[in-house]
Amino acid sequence: MSDFEIIGEISDIETIAIGNAIRDLPRLQKVYGPGRWRKLKGIALVRLSNGKLRRAELHWYEAHGMSKKEIKRKRYLD
Amino acid sequence: MTEKKSQAFAICIDNSGYPASLELHKIYRVIPDEEAALDGDLRVIDESGEDYLYAAKHFLLIDLPRNTEHILMHSFSRVLQKDEEAQPGHPADAD
Repeated sequence: MSDFEIIGEISDIETIAIGNAIRDLPRLQKVYGPGRWRKLKGIALVRLSNGKLRRAELHWYEAHGMSKKEIKRKRYLD
Repeated sequence: MTEKKSQAFAICIDNSGYPASLELHKIYRVIPDEEAALDGDLRVIDESGEDYLYAAKHFLLIDLPRNTEHILMHSFSRVLQKDEEAQPGHPADAD
């Protein structure tokens, strides 16, 4: 079960690192395979496991042809 | 004299959903975050070198004697410094 649930869409999406600038790139490639990996951030409403709704800055990884990987909560914005 | 203990480290016991960000059975630094604790979360510096919120179920907090904690903190700091120096564009990289 996921740590949290994303409600609606992720907005204000920005790329924060590409390729070798991603510190854990070797681990990403080992787990998910080779590709042009990017680390991105965005903002979304999330529901926590205790039911609370929070507006959060999320970070995740993407490569061409793959879905978002390892979406993580960086901080809350509310 | 009783040594004061704190919980600045945790072992990953479940990396489901985060196999790249967390390595099973590895020790991670925990950043104090009272708000996170109230929600059943921990703020942890993961494999990316940045701190993120994770559900506490992914970890087992470790109670360590203060001197042991200091030794580990120092070791973690050295690794972080080496990684930062290795990043492209770091002043130490210019030569």
